[in-house]
Amino acid sequence: MLYRVIDAQELPALVRAFMESYEVVAPVKRGSGYVFRAVDDPADIALSYTMTDSSVKKYLLPPDEPLMRFDARTNLVEDFHEEVTPRVLFGLHACDINAINRLDLVFRDGAYPDPYYCARREATLVVGISCMPGDHCFCQLWGSDEVQFGYDLFFQDIGGKYLVSISSVTAANILESACNPREATDEDRIEFRHATRRRQAAFNPDIPRIEDVSMLMDAFHKDPFWDELGGRCLSCTACSAVCPTCYCFDITDELDPDGAHGVRKRVWDSCTNPSFATVAGGHNFRPTGRERVRHRMYHKLNGFMATHDRMLCVGCGRCVDACKANINPIEVLKFFEKKGLEDVE
Amino acid sequence: MNATLIASECEARTQPRVVVAGLASCFGCQLQITNAEAHLLEVLGQIDLRYWQLVSSEPLPDEYDVAVIEGAVTTDEAVRTVRELRAKAKAVIAIGACAVTGGVPGMAAAGFDDRVAGTFAGAVPSACGTMRAPKPVSDYIDVDFTVRCCPIDSYDFIRVLQSALYGSNHIEADRTMCGDCKRRENECFYKQGTLCLGLVTRAACGARCVNLGRPCNGCAGLSPDANLEAARATCTAAGVDPNRFDEALQMFNQAALIAAADAARKEAE
Amino acid sequence: MSNNRYGASIDVPAWREQPRPATGAELMAQNAYRPWPARITSIKELTAHEKLFEFRLIDDRLRDAFHHEPGQFVEVSVFGVGEVPISITSSPTKQGFIELCIRRTGAVTEVLHEMQCGDIVGLRGPFGRGFPVDKMRGNDILVVAGGLGIAPVRSLINYIHDERADFGKVTIVYGSRTPSDIMFRDQFEMWRHRRDFDLHLTVDHPDDDWDGAVGVVTEPMKTLDINPRNTYGAVCGPPVMYRFVVAQMRRMGISYDRIYMSFERHMKCGMGKCGHCQIGHQYVCIDGPVFNYWEAKNIQGSI
Repeated sequence: MLYRVIDAQELPALVRAFMESYEVVAPVKRGSGYVFRAVDDPADIALSYTMTDSSVKKYLLPPDEPLMRFDARTNLVEDFHEEVTPRVLFGLHACDINAINRLDLVFRDGAYPDPYYCARREATLVVGISCMPGDHCFCQLWGSDEVQFGYDLFFQDIGGKYLVSISSVTAANILESACNPREATDEDRIEFRHATRRRQAAFNPDIPRIEDVSMLMDAFHKDPFWDELGGRCLSCTACSAVCPTCYCFDITDELDPDGAHGVRKRVWDSCTNPSFATVAGGHNFRPTGRERVRHRMYHKLNGFMATHDRMLCVGCGRCVDACKANINPIEVLKFFEKKGLEDVE
Repeated sequence: MNATLIASECEARTQPRVVVAGLASCFGCQLQITNAEAHLLEVLGQIDLRYWQLVSSEPLPDEYDVAVIEGAVTTDEAVRTVRELRAKAKAVIAIGACAVTGGVPGMAAAGFDDRVAGTFAGAVPSACGTMRAPKPVSDYIDVDFTVRCCPIDSYDFIRVLQSALYGSNHIEADRTMCGDCKRRENECFYKQGTLCLGLVTRAACGARCVNLGRPCNGCAGLSPDANLEAARATCTAAGVDPNRFDEALQMFNQAALIAAADAARKEAE
Repeated sequence: MSNNRYGASIDVPAWREQPRPATGAELMAQNAYRPWPARITSIKELTAHEKLFEFRLIDDRLRDAFHHEPGQFVEVSVFGVGEVPISITSSPTKQGFIELCIRRTGAVTEVLHEMQCGDIVGLRGPFGRGFPVDKMRGNDILVVAGGLGIAPVRSLINYIHDERADFGKVTIVYGSRTPSDIMFRDQFEMWRHRRDFDLHLTVDHPDDDWDGAVGVVTEPMKTLDINPRNTYGAVCGPPVMYRFVVAQMRRMGISYDRIYMSFERHMKCGMGKCGHCQIGHQYVCIDGPVFNYWEAKNIQGSI
């Protein structure tokens, strides 16, 4: 990996350079929190945010996306929808880039690369930035506090300066043109080590570190804990709406008012949506909150691991804020911790 | 019921015959249909509109394929009307909170008989009809399709009407609304300690009120998976009195709450 | 490549540009969400609720490229109404068309049931992993199906029928609710008279004319004499059936990894993405719909 150092004051120039050819999406302050928005002015960017309310997945997998237009009378496809905006996702934390990497595993790889997702992903540059954890962050438990790939630039804050990891030619050219990147000194490297250690020491110690989470998800699959946890689910799907890795969707047809033409769309769906696992005829394979909440946690903490060798949770903590019934992976970790203590007694 | 094939069945004759009837309501939802101005003629072009209470004083015709019903059932006469509509129509669409949940008229349902007796002392004006506790249309007849909210969304109505005419495997959302707020990235009212009924209300509107900065008042009706107990706990945790939550629910969900209480009482017995 | 309003050049999605006439496989791969027009070429009424449709893809490149395994499914579209996953019930030995057995049970299937020969639907697929016919070759086969579960295994039975010399003893146990719910009666009649197919029909509720067995499918299974070491089981039916049938197969001595079953879920995308068909960590649409019992035991919530 190529590393350079720039001064913090050079960042607005870089953002403006991106703006010449791309829509720049970055964290901005909104009410009591932060959101990712398209920005026109580098001064609007709030880089010191802890966590945004929602992730950037909507720019790769929109909540409501037309796939194709059809003629309902002839049953034929008329046209395909494409809305691809070259975009820079600016100021993403490591967890969110790790989340994009997981979405890539589902939508870019395998037997069925998703043409819609791929078109957007190809047209997207990712610029990451280091961060300090908030109270609900537990990315370090799954190793998502660092990111090895999936970005074009990654900025490590080393006090008034950034150590920049450069991984794409496109981004390198823009960085060169807008800033004055220089070789890192020993001092920079030492400060980088300090910054990393400060981050690692700042995680909330009340969130238990549990080994073998995936194994435990299987072992305690029938535990009454899931009745309790799922029993308080509000069935609102806020968890998956804010989750940077939840990608489930529904495919649905919508007729134009004329009844002759229409559009086939995909819209975000969620396994915590009560009717999600219902089949024709009405049988629901996960009829209660217990099964739905457990399934969601299981896919996050075990299922994806079994098929892709990594968690589908990146520990961003957004669901901890979004779920009003306090259902989140931290609760699952606390349950496992309690079980561990019971065994000792 | 074979509503989904009405369009093809009717092709030979002419077009599916539709009637729009209004019961106890403000007629605002019928008005909302006209608010789809730009597309109204396109929609009317797909149907044979035989009767529209909002614009006509004629009696209901004898034959039709689709019955659109607005308003709550509040009289014996209305019960007869909805039963007649059900018997003659191949598909019944209930539109608006009044028809779907009992809505605002439904607020009067609790202790209805006593209150009528107390108010009129046995001399109910004949214009009122033979009154009974307001209830949603689905309490009396099978309803095939619903268009929720107070008022309905014009385009929602078109979409549901088309589902009745042509069929659709789109199923009505049974999840509650907070997820839709998150998709829209609305700020949550509970973070400011403000009561909002999105916690238990069906996701039928895309969080329209909250998008406009107003808390949800529950006009889409309770989700069949509404978790009232968990919602009260959420209120308490956010510093909102759960009693206020229960009270607020009565505006659009009185009928459902009474039915649930009756069921619970029966089970206890 | 094209330029957008931001001036940056981007790769436009692959379906936009077709530099040369694509092969059927290439066409399908460009956008696997795209349903291709297929014509209904035959409709047979099977029961009051089920019809057998024959479809032919209109584009001959696609028709040539379409190859399926017994047990795989396609997504059938009626635009404006929606899309449904339906398992292919014809044998891969028959090329150029596919047969789908469709029960009238939802909005899309209701419209399909009203369609006529010559009407056009959208078709994409085939999707999923079917029965492992190559492994099964040379062995005895025990097929157990209930209700509409006959549809995917009929593809297997017909395949065996067409390649009969490659397989050993074939036993078919099929359970229906009532005699009038029995699908593919003609075919069962034919198999009944053949010595190389051992057929057992049973119904839950007999009528006056029924002279066959009454009861659940596990009853006739108990009378079977099979050699578990060279028998493969194939199971498909309503959700409640699996546990009892596989337990009976285990009692008969058939190994976990020789019992294959096809699961029903709502596969919406067919490509392991939308999540609707997930069971535990598996996607029925790509990892299944056919799993062996060992795999199924390792999927939380499968049976």
